[in-house]
Amino acid sequence: MIPLYQPGTSYLHRLPVGAKFLGIFLAALIASIFRENLAVLLGVWALTLTGFLLSGVGLRGLLAQLWRLKWLALVLIIPQLIFLTPAETGFNVARVLAVVLMAALFTLTTATSDILSSFERLLRPVDPLLLRLGLSAERISLALSLTIRSVPLILSFYAEIREAQRARGMRPTPRATVLPLLVMSLRHAEETAEALAARGVR
Amino acid sequence: MAMFAALVAVLGQLPAIPLAGGVPITLQTLGVMLAGAVLGPWRGAGAIVLLHVLVAAGLPLLAHGSGGLGAFAGPSAGFALGWIPGAFLVGLITQASWPLRVWRTIVGTALGGIVVVYACGLPVMAFQMGLSLEQAALINLAFLPGDAIKAAIAVTLTHSLARAYPAPFTYARRRRR
Repeated sequence: MIPLYQPGTSYLHRLPVGAKFLGIFLAALIASIFRENLAVLLGVWALTLTGFLLSGVGLRGLLAQLWRLKWLALVLIIPQLIFLTPAETGFNVARVLAVVLMAALFTLTTATSDILSSFERLLRPVDPLLLRLGLSAERISLALSLTIRSVPLILSFYAEIREAQRARGMRPTPRATVLPLLVMSLRHAEETAEALAARGVR
Repeated sequence: MAMFAALVAVLGQLPAIPLAGGVPITLQTLGVMLAGAVLGPWRGAGAIVLLHVLVAAGLPLLAHGSGGLGAFAGPSAGFALGWIPGAFLVGLITQASWPLRVWRTIVGTALGGIVVVYACGLPVMAFQMGLSLEQAALINLAFLPGDAIKAAIAVTLTHSLARAYPAPFTYARRRRR
């Protein structure tokens, strides 16, 4: 599983996670509120473009991101052309694409581990509140890392099931695949819980 | 919970079933319904929250390897966020008693897995695209058959699992009636 993050040392990479997130969130909010305003739209696009150039992702990276969004663009454009005028469609599509690209910029320039650790820091002050719900910041970050660890594991379960089906000449219906996948995953979860309990984690 | 979050992620990556009409669907929303039905309301919704935190942190865990913060900025953001209350409601209705009742599971997956998710997704989509609510609903009609099929699969899977491996259904078994 490869994170979408692209390593680098640009100004955007070095910006603190919280500030970057807040900035992008505000820009997206402004773009959504002043929706029919050409100046705001151009501003957001200019901001996004400078962001991509500053971050070292560059135009090539921007085009790669746009290519990833081709289905979104299609889903956006076709129904709008049916219901709205072309000018309105252009406005809406440009705005949504700019916001999505800006959010992608956050993902491209921020390491997954940095985001997760600042998320955990964010939870620290509300720890007493979480404790009342039977949670804690540590448990949440443990669950998050367990999830990351489990994705390749479940993919290997899936490969195992497919192999067994192929050996028996079975067709892979969703039902025949997902049920064994469920049982294997849940059993593994139970074993993990036992192992954690044995080590004094509850 | 962590395991199930990962399971929902994996279900989004498996080869999609091309539906009649050419709309590709993945099993990711099937995973959402199952999370609620199998884990119960709290842990089911918790699994989806875990998944969303990891997606926002930049892991490509949503359908077809998409992810990152952009997933929550686009027009389909409301649907993904709707999974949280959706899974909760599926769990609440499905696991109201032990042994599970088939009609409850059907009502639960239909209400939580489809109605709640659409109720959260349509307004966001309509707002983002500048459409009216009715127009957005009309577009999403294309996905309804797929979701109905997935709900049906979720119901049969939940009951097969409850018979084969009842251990995870703790919420329902604690309030056996």
